[in-house]
Amino acid sequence: MSRTTRKIVIAGVMGAISIFLGASHLGFIPWLAGAALTIMHVPVIIGAVLEGPWVGLAIGFIFGAFSLLQGAIAPTGPADVWFTNPLVSILPRLLIGPVAWLVYKALKRANEIVALAVAGVAGSLTNTILVLGALGLFRFLPWALIGTIAVTNGLPEAVVAAIITVAVVAAWKRIETGRKGSTV
Amino acid sequence: MPMASEFELLGRVTIGQYLPTGSLVHSLDPRAKLLVVLLLIIVVIVSNSLIGLSLLLLAVLAGLAVARIPLRFALAGLRPMLPFLILLALLQVFAIPQYSIGATVIWHRGILTITDRSLLAGILLIARFSIMALGLSLFSFSTTTTELTHGIEHLVRPLQTLRLPAHEFALVVNIAIRFLPILAEETERLMKAQASRGADFGRGRRNFVQRTRLLLPLLVPLFLVSLRRADQLIEAMEARCYLGGKGRTHLIRLQERLPDYVVVAGALGLATGAIYLSRVNADRLLWSWLSSHL
Repeated sequence: MSRTTRKIVIAGVMGAISIFLGASHLGFIPWLAGAALTIMHVPVIIGAVLEGPWVGLAIGFIFGAFSLLQGAIAPTGPADVWFTNPLVSILPRLLIGPVAWLVYKALKRANEIVALAVAGVAGSLTNTILVLGALGLFRFLPWALIGTIAVTNGLPEAVVAAIITVAVVAAWKRIETGRKGSTV
Repeated sequence: MPMASEFELLGRVTIGQYLPTGSLVHSLDPRAKLLVVLLLIIVVIVSNSLIGLSLLLLAVLAGLAVARIPLRFALAGLRPMLPFLILLALLQVFAIPQYSIGATVIWHRGILTITDRSLLAGILLIARFSIMALGLSLFSFSTTTTELTHGIEHLVRPLQTLRLPAHEFALVVNIAIRFLPILAEETERLMKAQASRGADFGRGRRNFVQRTRLLLPLLVPLFLVSLRRADQLIEAMEARCYLGGKGRTHLIRLQERLPDYVVVAGALGLATGAIYLSRVNADRLLWSWLSSHL
């Protein structure tokens, strides 16, 4: 069953990228008032689009478990403290992959590039909405503030996630994007 | 601490740091330690009792002492967080309106109000975070990544009988951990390649668009290089006839001994106690006893 081996390896490698982006701080883009945008969830989306919902689930778990560990051992900002609760850090992240995969699968036939972009946006928004929703349910933050963060952080994160997902998957699957350039 | 270079990426990571002191804690079965850490995470979140959480804090501190891990090592991650923690606790005390509904007001001036519930929420936030941080550093200081991966693999094996892909999942985690140094190396190479073409990765202030544009020529190749490496690994595994978890045996067998059972039993007892104290509202009982006798 070569498909299984492929799924295991891709999930492991994408999980490693997610951890690496967090640990090296490459995955954070400074944004308004010290709140950073994150792209740590992009490997989850890419893995799900390439290898299906279960791979997305596994990468999401690794991403979540790492943000829990990071929140407790090496926090980088005030928000990291909340992520020591697995219902905030792990549970919402499990759903990023499956949502991105469903969206990609539904739109793939129409236009693959559009499908990838929308999957990136949908996966990213799943992360934003569920994590912030959990923060609200646990009363870590007042709902009014949560709405503001959802707009100021969630939307740019979704745009960046869509750009990276399209760039990576299109290059990997050698889909014509109408642009010419070096392939590293 | 040596100055980290611009291209050095994993220099600041404290996760996965191992401190070999050869103590009893270090020689425990990694499965036992994993179980205890899982219990700790669950209890710290479920228990609302300050008495219960204090007991857990004492237990973690005792663990650090037995493991001969200097407290300043374990506190290293905690210290830079103190101002944030205090700020967050204050936010809990003053700014969350949900806590003032049906609670007793302790202090009131102008628009600022402290209720018993909001004060408790603030204290619990600090207590929870400190226990979790100390507990997880105790685990990572006393367990090597090799022990960790073996521990996960052995611990999830019983789930195999439930037809869950436990072996596969353990392998995913192992690959992720093993891939980290490779990724760091590849990224360093990519950063140097981009820098030689004029990219500036200095930590100067830049706006969002500039930062993103700087990251893209780094991230996209990083993903592609990793996917290529993944393809090589798949080929290597298939060339060696990897067929998944069924019927596989292990080169290294973990052997549980008496101290492992004692530690897990002790942790179970403590966890039950902390949750029970929270269920019976022990804090309130103690508080009313103290206020009636003092």
